[in-house]
Amino acid sequence: MTEHEFHRAMHLVMEAGTLLLESGGEVFRAQDTMEIMAHSLGIGDFHVYVLTNGIFASAMRGSVSEVRHIPRISIDLGRVEMVNAISRRLATGELDLAGAECALAEARHHRVYGPRRHLLAASIGSACFAYLFGGGPLEVAVAFVAGSAETLTCQWFARHHISRIFTDIVAAAIGTALAIMARWYLWPKLDVGTASIGALMVLTPGVALTMGIRDIINADYLSGAIRMLGAVLVAGCLAAGVGITWMIAHDFMGVWI
Amino acid sequence: MSQPLWVQMLLQFLAAMVATIGFGLTFEVPSRHFVACGITGALGWVVYSLCVTLWGLSAPMATLVATLPLTAAARFYSIRHKAPITLFLLSGIFPLVPGAGIYYTAYYLLQGNRVQCTNKGVETLKIALALALGIALVCSLPLPGQPHRKN
Repeated sequence: MTEHEFHRAMHLVMEAGTLLLESGGEVFRAQDTMEIMAHSLGIGDFHVYVLTNGIFASAMRGSVSEVRHIPRISIDLGRVEMVNAISRRLATGELDLAGAECALAEARHHRVYGPRRHLLAASIGSACFAYLFGGGPLEVAVAFVAGSAETLTCQWFARHHISRIFTDIVAAAIGTALAIMARWYLWPKLDVGTASIGALMVLTPGVALTMGIRDIINADYLSGAIRMLGAVLVAGCLAAGVGITWMIAHDFMGVWI
Repeated sequence: MSQPLWVQMLLQFLAAMVATIGFGLTFEVPSRHFVACGITGALGWVVYSLCVTLWGLSAPMATLVATLPLTAAARFYSIRHKAPITLFLLSGIFPLVPGAGIYYTAYYLLQGNRVQCTNKGVETLKIALALALGIALVCSLPLPGQPHRKN
């Protein structure tokens, strides 16, 4: 293996790990995948340590070392699957270095659905959840609208790089406010709780919770704890958003509805 | 509700499937896994809902019971589709995430109803723990035929 090839291989392995973490792969998955890839590509003496938002790797008795920082995670499970498949095909010898580079570039540009379909899917999801939690047609309709408002808020804030904490508070507040207003101005029979919970499901920290559990099961306690902390934080933000809206609504209407 | 139980459950199953697929789509799950994700999520929800309505289990207990078949289904599909289990687990778990608990905790806190607020808060925590326990139990079971392969 020439030095040039070695650097290309090392770069490939680091890219694969970064992509996995960015797209919502677990810590052990990134670590395993990188080790398997390094082994199949013939990188000697490869060691790697992965955290929720960082990768540290060295090779050739520490003469080569690389660090990556992954500040932002945007879930893309299709990409996780693609990178997983690349490492498997490398291990079986079906792909060589150049082939793997191509496949990885393809995975990097993987975005199938786009924001509009995300919006529609999240709104339909909210509506279905309102039904599951015992809502009638009115609650389902309000949850659909509130869910889309929350998703739009999230998308717009993400485009302007506004922090996740603030986004969650504002989105939860908007969703709840829509449900309360629908009851106050339109349908006095609406069950505000069911409608807003349906919409709130868009924002719940299910991903962080599940990934935290998965990390902890695999004995990555530090990474698991980071993710769990994130989940608790998001839950607190949602509660704050809901609370702020109810407080304003209470002051405005003078009664609890 | 006046419909017979099986009609209700069928409707719930379908709604949970659509909800799970909707959330799976926002996570960019490839469309060939949609049905598997939907079934995983719907299975969890229907078991949960049966536990609560028929056998009168508490929400955390029902969540624990429902997480077991849900995670098992996710593992089954991950092996059958040769895809990471994350795809099915992340989308499928959503119907059981305690969104309602978070909402009511905040609601009662604001009303100054401390008893209800504490009840809901503790229940939310218990549900989250039940989810964790259920996933951990099923994911840690070793399977014959895939000794050290992590999904």
